[in-house]
Amino acid sequence: MHLNEPDAAEVQDLRVEIDGRALVDGVSLRVPPGRITALIGASGSGKTTTGLALLHEHPPGARVTGEIRVPDGLVGYVPQHPATVLNPARPVAALLQDIARTQIRHLPRRDRRTAIRQRILRALGQARLQDGETLLNRYPHQLSGGQQQRVVLAQALLTGAGILVADEPTTGQDAVTKQQIADQLAAVAREGIAVLLLSHDLEVVRALADHVHVLRAGRIVESGTPEQLWSRPQHSWTRALLTSAAATEPSEGPPVQNGTDETASGPAAATTVLRVRSLIARHGKSTVLRTPELLLPPGCSAIMGRSGSGKTTLARCLAGLHRSYDGEILLDGVALPRSLRDRTREQLAAVQYVFQDARAAFDEHRPVLDQVARSAIRLRAAPRTEALAEAERTLSTLGLPGDLVRRRPTELSGGELQRAALARALLARPRVLICDEITSGQDAVTRRSLRTLLAGLVRTHPELSLVLITHDRDTATLATRIAVLDDGHVVEQGPADELVTAPQHPLTAALLQPAPDVGVMSGMRG
Amino acid sequence: MTGLRPWLVRRLLLGAGQTVAVVLLVFALTEALPGDAAVALAGDQPDPGRIAAIRDTMHLDRPAHERLAAWAAGLLHGDLGTSLASGRPVSSYLADGFGPTLLLAALTLLLLVPLAVGLGVLAARNEGRLVDRLISSVTLGVYAVPEFAFGVLLVTVFALRLGWLPPTAVGYGDDLLAHPAALVLPVVVLLSRPVCSLARLVRAGMIEALASPYVAQARRYGIPGARLRYAHALPNALAPAAQQLARTVDWLLCGVIVVEALFVIPGLGTVLMNAVAERDVPVIQGLAVVFGCTAVVLNLGADLATYRLVPRTAVAA
Amino acid sequence: MNPRTVPGPRRFTLALLILTVPLLLALLGPLFAGEPGPRAASFTLGGGHWAGTDFVGRDVWRQVLLGGRPVVLTALAATALAYAVALPLGLIAALTHRRWLEELVMRPFDVLLAVPSLLFLLLVAAVLTPDAGGLALLVALVNIPDAVRAVRAATAEAAARPAVEALRMQGETWWRTAIGYVGRSALRTLAADAGVRLAGVLYLVATAAFLGIGAEPDAADWAVMVDRNRTGMFLQPWAVVLPAVLIMALTMGTNLLFDAALTRPDRGPGQDRRGRRPAADRGDQGTAPDRRDRGPAPDRVPQPGRTPAPPSPTDGPPRAPGRDEKSNPCI
Repeated sequence: MHLNEPDAAEVQDLRVEIDGRALVDGVSLRVPPGRITALIGASGSGKTTTGLALLHEHPPGARVTGEIRVPDGLVGYVPQHPATVLNPARPVAALLQDIARTQIRHLPRRDRRTAIRQRILRALGQARLQDGETLLNRYPHQLSGGQQQRVVLAQALLTGAGILVADEPTTGQDAVTKQQIADQLAAVAREGIAVLLLSHDLEVVRALADHVHVLRAGRIVESGTPEQLWSRPQHSWTRALLTSAAATEPSEGPPVQNGTDETASGPAAATTVLRVRSLIARHGKSTVLRTPELLLPPGCSAIMGRSGSGKTTLARCLAGLHRSYDGEILLDGVALPRSLRDRTREQLAAVQYVFQDARAAFDEHRPVLDQVARSAIRLRAAPRTEALAEAERTLSTLGLPGDLVRRRPTELSGGELQRAALARALLARPRVLICDEITSGQDAVTRRSLRTLLAGLVRTHPELSLVLITHDRDTATLATRIAVLDDGHVVEQGPADELVTAPQHPLTAALLQPAPDVGVMSGMRG
Repeated sequence: MTGLRPWLVRRLLLGAGQTVAVVLLVFALTEALPGDAAVALAGDQPDPGRIAAIRDTMHLDRPAHERLAAWAAGLLHGDLGTSLASGRPVSSYLADGFGPTLLLAALTLLLLVPLAVGLGVLAARNEGRLVDRLISSVTLGVYAVPEFAFGVLLVTVFALRLGWLPPTAVGYGDDLLAHPAALVLPVVVLLSRPVCSLARLVRAGMIEALASPYVAQARRYGIPGARLRYAHALPNALAPAAQQLARTVDWLLCGVIVVEALFVIPGLGTVLMNAVAERDVPVIQGLAVVFGCTAVVLNLGADLATYRLVPRTAVAA
Repeated sequence: MNPRTVPGPRRFTLALLILTVPLLLALLGPLFAGEPGPRAASFTLGGGHWAGTDFVGRDVWRQVLLGGRPVVLTALAATALAYAVALPLGLIAALTHRRWLEELVMRPFDVLLAVPSLLFLLLVAAVLTPDAGGLALLVALVNIPDAVRAVRAATAEAAARPAVEALRMQGETWWRTAIGYVGRSALRTLAADAGVRLAGVLYLVATAAFLGIGAEPDAADWAVMVDRNRTGMFLQPWAVVLPAVLIMALTMGTNLLFDAALTRPDRGPGQDRRGRRPAADRGDQGTAPDRRDRGPAPDRVPQPGRTPAPPSPTDGPPRAPGRDEKSNPCI
């Protein structure tokens, strides 16, 4: 492959400026071969700009100073969403062939075809893509997410690059997928390739990285091995960043106060708020969800599962947004109409829903305050001034000041809008509040604050039934009761502490496991 | 290709429905004639003999549904009726006019794709620069101009003032291929609008593709520029343009009518215009059905080609 | 990588320049036309007629002054009529949950798309000989299927957003959801479509008049003039060139104007159509739209849209979810 280089890539005093503002301000780092170097930091810290600088790509109009040295000049790149770098109109093999073609120019013509094929198959093997040959002729949309990622990895490996930049590979994935990706990166590093890992996902960084640099506002504030940083952080920012991911489990809270509600598994539980009975939900012709029995008592419940397990469909059925199902959803023993449009005002107010994409769930033309107040006006027939006052109060308890909420949604960040969405739902004074993946895709700081918020909600609204749809372990452990879905079936449900400590089903164990196995990782690298 | 068969069946059904609609529409229009149809059709020459002849040829004494059935049955056998003006079968008119029209259409289609793709790629490569701005503005402007105005101005400049080309095809009508100079202006005029529209689509598609993450990925792995453009970017740029190509086929059918009128080319368009002028309903009906069915068939063919070209993106659950 | 080219104010002024002359002539010309003079010999130049005489010996300039109004007014009427019908139908089709209703609205139009527009006009003209008002009606009829499709596409995109579901969860009235949110979001796209449609309708009206539909053979109408004065082109080109140039300027200018006006970079908040984001942001492809490398900036920053701006409105059919688009007025 390639010789054991004394050094892989090096960046010295990199400074990237746009309009006088420095995105990266004097960053120097080394990315040695065979090791995984991680860059961590909050949004806007300059991670991506630095990573892309290694690829010799800069934002347009940027002034770049400093030295970037990459042996061979070849750098591989694996983005967060691999599908975006796969050409939708060409078969998967297209780019692989073109890359291989640039390498075999020196060979005589008749040997070229076989040489190309060999190289491609070798790269696919290195990327651990099964049935690589058959997949070559398919189009990207015919591959699964995991296969797409391996193809993109194969592309990087095929170029013979000595360094790979992995941009947020595990962010937004569920625990099982994270483990697979972490394994893959470790394997790549074992081959002698230098890996630069840009990530928000501190668990994975801690498990995988050999060396970590903490960035803030374009500067490296601290560097070291994960053990050093996690146990003895020197810089205050490092401390703040790392403790946000540390398991100060807010799940200590709910069990204390809701201990009385644990026995909801028996039938006719008098405190049950929502009950799902014989639910069979369909998307068009195919059945996506089969839930014979599901109980959601007051307090915080979580519905977990991997992507495509049907948890969002379940949530939407509960909310009345998905109407093609058979079976019943009972609120306090009374069946709810399938569709939103058939529900009465009281029923609408009783079950509220918070969307995953907060920005898309707001009207971009009207001020946030008005939209939040509208819930009270429409669903509780509150007069306008009262509704506005209540909205402002609720928003400020959620951390959004008055002047901010009078603006339009485009001027608020994603995290702030998510809180506004919560406020909008709360203003209807619901009995059930369904939160669909509201912590996904946010950075660690925002996630932590949302989780704190949700935990606070449970304390301040004891009659509220909070239903969290999530694949994230930390969010799920806020709940007192967890149900795990797989492929449209409930594979396990019960009290949260039981599922965390003694999961019966392997999927439950996988989803609720603390982090990619640290022991396995470090033991296998030499 | 799992999705193809149901799509094909649906598409064929739609095409069949459209054909039926054309036939019914054409027939219904003659029913809309106020008063006595034969008198109305005789128009400027209301002599009793002619009125009787019309009534006979068109079987106006029989009820409407019978006439429709008879006419439809005749269509299926290739009998398109008889002209009111000359008494000749309509199909002979079609045979006469078919050649020149086919020639014009074929030439236009042949030149359209290379020109449009070439212009679009050229503009996209030089995005923002003078070449691109020029191409963009010109295509935007010319796209809106009716063929007759454009054609007349071209004739004034190139035929009358400069004398490079003949102003019409008068005298060459029977053997157009032997006199290519007479074909230049008609084809240019026919090309004008479709080229502009397609070139703009190709340009937009190319710009988007060239700025896409997948082309960036190929670029950073050292794929040379020309290959990037044609093997990686262009296939994505062609999809919306391919869909438009199907519509372009329709445009030609209309543009042909205007161009043949303007340049006096004895094709199907001229036949149609003459029939309209003489209110020769059977000829109009026959031609309308042929035009309509041709449009349906060509659209289906173009859509089929597009379907193959555009890999269906998987729908997120 | 170059940022997307956005037509600047220059193209707008260019469009205005091209459009002003024919538009003014069309709308105000009849005020200055005066009385018809005595008939002179056909196709002569000079002799007090600075643009010569036409095929029946009338003064060409006077005909030009009179001839714009029928074209422009018929086109405007046809466009307005088409939208008056298309807007409610398209809204219903986009906002309804009932598949059968949507099919009921859209399928007949799919079928009607089969008949090429010009052909349809010719057929009707052969039988009914419409006047200018009839032509406006026919052209509107011909445009309704495509307009409904455009309205539905524009509103369907907005109607599929979570914001609409959120509004329903608040128990918001249908009216406020449909008009207040969906309609407002779709407004920009619809305005663009209206402009394109107007250009297309102008095309069809002019071409129909050229072919003798909707206007008397001796009418004062620019397109008719081009047709009727063709025979004397050798002798007297102005009778053909003047109206042709004016038609060309009118159609060109309209198209350029609407394109320039509607692809301006957005200044307002929350619009869909924005310039493409710079290359560095490619790296941040998280689902949360606010994760970007923007340096030491506060968390709360104005959010540009993530979608690259779609091609200019006049580039062709709006990308409707359905398959048939007819952007060309001929069809």
